[in-house]
Amino acid sequence: MKEVFLRIWRIGLREIEIFSHRPMYLFVIIIAPLFCLIYFTQIMRSGIPTKMPCGVVDEDNTSTTRSIVRILGAMQNTDIVAHYGSFSEARKAMQKGDIYAFFYIPRNTTDRALASRRPEISFYTADTYYAAGSLLMKDLQTTSELAGLAITRASLTAKGVSPSLMMGILQPITIETHPLNNPTLNYSVYLNNIVVPGLFFLIIMLFTAYTIGYEWKMGTQKELFEMAGESSTIALAGKLWPQTLLYCLIMILIDVYFYKFLDFPLNVSLIRIICAGLLCVFASQALAVFFFGIFLTLRMGMSACSLFGVLQISVSGFTFPLTAMKPVFQYLAWISPLRHYYMLYVNQALNGFKLVYAWPSIVALLVICLLPLTVLSRIAHAFKYVDYKP
Amino acid sequence: MNIIKIWYDELQTVFHDVGIILFVVILPLAYPIIYAYVYTPEVQRDVPVVAVDDSKSSLSRDFLRKVDATPDVKVVQCCTNMTEAYSLLERQDAYAIIHIDKDFAKAFTQGKQTTVGLYCNMMSMVYYKCAASACSNVSIDMNRKIKVENYLRPTTEREAEIMAAPIDYVHTSLYNPQGGYAAFMIPPILMMIFQQSLFLGIGMSMGRSRERNGGFVIPMSHFYKNSIEIVLGKMLFYLMLYIVHGLYAFIVITKLFGLPQLGHYWDFILFLIPYVSACCFLGMVLSYLIFRREDCMLIFVFMSLPLYFMCGLSWPGSAIPDGIRYFSYLFPSTFGLNAYMRITGMGASISDVSFEMKGIAIQTVVYFALACLIYMKKIRQVLKREA
Repeated sequence: MKEVFLRIWRIGLREIEIFSHRPMYLFVIIIAPLFCLIYFTQIMRSGIPTKMPCGVVDEDNTSTTRSIVRILGAMQNTDIVAHYGSFSEARKAMQKGDIYAFFYIPRNTTDRALASRRPEISFYTADTYYAAGSLLMKDLQTTSELAGLAITRASLTAKGVSPSLMMGILQPITIETHPLNNPTLNYSVYLNNIVVPGLFFLIIMLFTAYTIGYEWKMGTQKELFEMAGESSTIALAGKLWPQTLLYCLIMILIDVYFYKFLDFPLNVSLIRIICAGLLCVFASQALAVFFFGIFLTLRMGMSACSLFGVLQISVSGFTFPLTAMKPVFQYLAWISPLRHYYMLYVNQALNGFKLVYAWPSIVALLVICLLPLTVLSRIAHAFKYVDYKP
Repeated sequence: MNIIKIWYDELQTVFHDVGIILFVVILPLAYPIIYAYVYTPEVQRDVPVVAVDDSKSSLSRDFLRKVDATPDVKVVQCCTNMTEAYSLLERQDAYAIIHIDKDFAKAFTQGKQTTVGLYCNMMSMVYYKCAASACSNVSIDMNRKIKVENYLRPTTEREAEIMAAPIDYVHTSLYNPQGGYAAFMIPPILMMIFQQSLFLGIGMSMGRSRERNGGFVIPMSHFYKNSIEIVLGKMLFYLMLYIVHGLYAFIVITKLFGLPQLGHYWDFILFLIPYVSACCFLGMVLSYLIFRREDCMLIFVFMSLPLYFMCGLSWPGSAIPDGIRYFSYLFPSTFGLNAYMRITGMGASISDVSFEMKGIAIQTVVYFALACLIYMKKIRQVLKREA
């Protein structure tokens, strides 16, 4: 038993030796994830995009329509950057990317409204810009609704309805939304909690496959196998422990930065979410070993890891929900560490639900961690007989 | 003549190396299909929500029926209290709770304002958006009806219509009428795949020549003596290949998955040629840093997501900090993703994307010059060694 640990220790030291000659390794393991962490939290530091460029086409141009436009301009998400003379000018501006939406008030709107002839105003959003389009849509819809209500209010006042009763007539039912645990709809909380670990897991998968395959590339795989006493388990364990330590440190750093420094919502103890993160780190490594074990070449192993690692960011379902995707992706998601991280994060850090509801994810992660067992003999065979093919 | 020889060499290199084929041929063909397949359901329908109806009045039931009838939301269960409803949230059997207060109908008969509570699990903005828009649309609709029937008392049907909405409004979702995810995700992803696969392919081919030629990126051959010819020859090969990919993306993928297709072929080609050239030249400059062929995967693959967020499509450009925006001008993808999205998705012409085209043009020139300088240095090294 002592000999086994000694071998693992020695292979680990050999690995650290290789690391010290390759500054790119440190760049990939340390700088890249930290860059992503700082970069993504910086880009979304405002939390929710506000004051997005919006245009107005006011063909009527009366004091009433101008006051509607002023209401729109006072909204949180809207920044009226330009007034256009005609519809096609505004559309052109949209195609140029100057504005994400515009408000169109046709000629005689005020006249028709006062004469009870029900004018129609309209608004157009460029929904190829999904977030901007839907946030602006909300403001534009509210403004349009208010424009009509203002006229009703005027006629009610004329009928002698007292202001205290007014709201019960104009808006009998109001909706009070409670976005649980993210009351400000902070996109940074929503996206970065998954994007940053997602990229980190991608880097882990790529780098794990890379360092293992690198032995074949350098033709040192037989030497490593001998050092491990002809055991692929010992060879892999020795090879991976130094980088595993680094991964764990970085995962802890990411969590501390999120929950202690940026004060992202955390409804359980920090230890729990760190444990979930570490479990996913191990699962990512295991998955990389598994992919390498299937293909047994550096190139294909890494290609499989990058394909899966990039795809799992979509398939985890934190932007477009997994429940709406085709069934094949719903099955694929079961072996995605990021999907399970997302489930654990939602269950624990975001909402502080009971852990028992997240057990399928924990079991799935543990099973993913065991996947390499199925390919150990293949890798052992490769250590002995397979040579590097570019 | 040398250019053609170098072009042919590059073609030979690439098509004799499965690794590079994987990146510059298979990846740009297969990845768009996978992604389109991920996102083509376009929208989430029938988000499960749970209702807690403490009012138990005909008005509250009417409200819930109407919410259930919207396409976005499905009321899966009615619970007797909030604790029970919350446990459904915990189990992820539902993503939102609609809570109707017990004074709901009473306040309404008294002519007071009354509220409906919507509690949403914020795991996904899509669920939140579905639940919130369903509730708010139903409330707007019911408010109009209540206002007219209970207070304004119209005499004709037309008057009722006018009273319900004295000013009518229409929302038109331009360029993505179904509000779908694929129409907004796939076009930029296509162009991102182009740039990243070019970086990977060129990086690997450079790494390969370095490994083959004892640390030098160019073979010892009298054809490889002029840096401009080398850069152009190599670029020409990728450009021809990527025009094919471009047409495949622009025609096949867009048609196959029913994505918006408003652009003109000519505008697209006019955009594609400088875009691919800029990516090629930057790829050559970046692969200067690559010593082993597999290293480029470590560096380039993870970059795609930060680059995607930089370009201001999913995170609005107006909300991107200035520092990051200027940094983003270094990469062709920033301009390319925006330009392609607007050409194909919004029917913009080349003059509409002139800002982006200028950016790409400047990049093409600068990176071409840089690539030439790098090759000049390399040629000098080779010459020194030969001497």
